[in-house]
Formats: sequence, structure tokens, C-alpha cells
Amino acid sequence: MRTRAAVSAALASAGILIAGWQSGVHIADSSSAVASAATGTAGSTGMGTGTGTGTDDSTASSGSSGAGTTGAAGASAKAVGTYAGSVVQTRFGSVQVQITVQAGKITDVTALQLTDAERKSVQISNRAAPLLRDEVLQSQSADVQTISGATVTSDAYLNSLQAALDAANL
Amino acid sequence: MQPTSELAGSVLKARTFGSMGTVISLTVPARALGTAAVPGTAGGGERELDAAAAAVERVFARADETFSLYRPDSEASRLARGELSLRAASAGMRDRYADALSWRLMTEGAFSPERPDGVLDLSGIIKGYAIGQAGAALRSRGITDWCLNAGGDVLVMGSPVPGSGAAWAAGVVDPLDRSALLSAYGLGGPGTRWALATSGSAERGDHIWTAGSRGVEFAQVSVAAADIVTADVLATAIVAGGTAMLHRATDGWDIDVLVVRRTGELLATPGFRA
Repeated sequence: MRTRAAVSAALASAGILIAGWQSGVHIADSSSAVASAATGTAGSTGMGTGTGTGTDDSTASSGSSGAGTTGAAGASAKAVGTYAGSVVQTRFGSVQVQITVQAGKITDVTALQLTDAERKSVQISNRAAPLLRDEVLQSQSADVQTISGATVTSDAYLNSLQAALDAANL
Repeated sequence: MQPTSELAGSVLKARTFGSMGTVISLTVPARALGTAAVPGTAGGGERELDAAAAAVERVFARADETFSLYRPDSEASRLARGELSLRAASAGMRDRYADALSWRLMTEGAFSPERPDGVLDLSGIIKGYAIGQAGAALRSRGITDWCLNAGGDVLVMGSPVPGSGAAWAAGVVDPLDRSALLSAYGLGGPGTRWALATSGSAERGDHIWTAGSRGVEFAQVSVAAADIVTADVLATAIVAGGTAMLHRATDGWDIDVLVVRRTGELLATPGFRA
């Protein structure tokens, strides 16, 4: 019984090790994939400037400019630098992402370009941000057709704005 | 946001009734009601509106009979007293319970169908569900322009001016002065959000239980979404779960949110920005 327990414990450990190794490989794969994706945009048209300002730690290439050197930097595990992606259309407008790579890992992701249709810079996410009262959409009760508020009881309804609107439309 | 005063030639007609401890209002443009716009036959449109309101009222009455805990004879009350097991409950009860459990998972516990004392309370999801069912009943009657308000939770279809594409203008009550509007939001029309729900930390009922022991951060939360159950559940969850749940909601769902902090400060997604 003890032997069997030891064997299964060993097998379990091996399993964890393998899983860890595999996920490590996966991370390495994905980071190089991202780096080469950034490289791929260097030749693209439009706003996608795809500039790699990367300086390669390795002696293989001095990061002059252009896709080739960026590619070398991306493939190298020692690569350090910043890489710009292509311009992608999203529901927030045009987005261009810049990544910073150190020792083959992405250490920072920033938005280089983020504009709406009028080319104004916009908030990247749909997160709720602090606003002043006069910065939200305003309206007078005379100009709305319905009222949203925390649940109104039948009693409280009597004196509510919604009741006034309903009475006007009866 | 098109003010009512500029809704040229559009007259709105409303019907109200009480159900589920609150007041439900159905508002329809007179022009959307069959013969109502034809002079001399106004009675036809009024009758059509009465029939539509009766259909909506039946939906709410049915939900109230089954799910209300304040009715000792309801299925929900028999479940709460342990006289009935979920396995023996109606399909509708089990379906709503399953919905509520999946919302609890999606909101990481901020929304829950169980009270702290363990009693199953589906009231946090039933009103939204009933509003959605009532909307389906209106559509099935061929009415394509309407606004349904149940105790401050709103679902719309079409426009207050049929065929114009204009949005329904919904005001959001200022929790610090309930006779004033804090903001407004355009529902329907060119947009893809037809529902607006507002929850408050001081609201009636007990279906908001804060996660953790700390006090409630938000006095009022309004959520605009494509459907009313999503809007209602997420508004409740954000009041209960605070800032963390607020960010989870705006990251995970296509919604607009307007939050009034206890201090009176506002937080809003871009859709509420003027």
C-alpha cells in the first residue's frame, strides 16, 4: 500500500512538472507570436507604422530599423524594445497598440492611437469614470417619456415624477 | 435626446396598474394604436390600449402569484417554509432559480438568489423577467412602439414617434432629490439598448445583500443594456459588489452604467457622458 501511494505521488508530481513545463512553453510561444505579429505590421499600409525601436541585446543585429531587425529582436529571448502594432478598428474607434518587451517578455502594453470617427482621442474602455454632475447627459422631467429610479413602492409612486408623466398621458 | 415638446404631433397614451408592490406604467404613442389617429374613431385606439394593458397586467399577476414571498399561498412561500422542494416545484420556478444561479456565477456572488438567512428569494430576477415577458406579450399583439415602466425599471420598443427612429428619453432620478432628474438616457431608436434599470442601496425590499461586511459604496446604480434582466441584475449586483463589481460589469457586458456614490459623486461610462 505504501509503495502504491508513493508511486501515485510520484506520478502526480511528474504530472505537475509536465503541466508546468508545457505552460512555460506555451508562454514562450505566445510571446514570440505577439512579437512577430508586431513585426508583421511593419510593412502594412495606412496608420500601421509598425516601427520597432527595439535594441537587441544579442550581437546578431544592431536595431537599425525595418521589419527584419524587429523580427530578429522578437525571436530572441533577450530582446528588449518597444513595438507598435497595426491600427485595428474597434467599437471604440481606431486602436494602435504598443508593447514593450524585456527579456522576451511583454512588460507593458499601451495604446499609441485611440480615436473616434472625429479623430478625437477617446477613453479606451467602457469603464465608468468620475464625472461632474454637469458632464452627464442632462434632461428636464418635461422632456422625458419615462423615469428610471430605484424601486418605487405603490405609496411612493403617488408623489413620483413617473406618476406625473403617467397622469399627463392618461 | 429628443424632448417630448418637439415630438411633433405625437400624443402619448398611458395606462397604469399596481402589481408586485409597485406601479407598472405602459406608455404608447397614440399613432401606434390602430385607428386612434383617425378623427371620430378614437375609441378604437383606447380599447386597444386597454386590452394591451390587460395583457401586461396578466403577466405581472401570474409572476406575483408564483414568486411573491409576501403572499403566504405563493409557490415561493411554500418553498421558503420547506413545504415544497425545488424538485417538486413548477418548471417556471426551477427555470428562474437556474437563471438566478447562473447570474450568481457570472457576478461572482454579487447577485444571489438566497437571502443571508438561506431563504430562496428570486425577487431580484422576477421583476425583470416579468417585464421581458410583458414586452413579448405586447409584441405578439402587433404593438411595435411602447415603453413599459415597472417601479423604475424600463423596457422599450420602437419609438415615441412611430417610424421616426427617435429614441425614448428616459430620465434617471437624482437619489439626493427624488423630484429632480440626475441624467437622461436614450433607449431604443438608433441604439441597441432597450432596457434601463436602477437599483439603490436604500430601496424597498431586501434583495440587495452586500458582499462582505463593509458598508455600501453606492447610493444608486443605473444600468442600460439590451435586455431588462441583464440591466436589472447587474444594477443590483453593482450596488452589492461595489467598485470591483462595477468594473467586472463594464468589462464583461455591453452596458452603460451611471453610479451615484454615497458621497454624491458620479461615475459613468461614456454612454452617459453629455
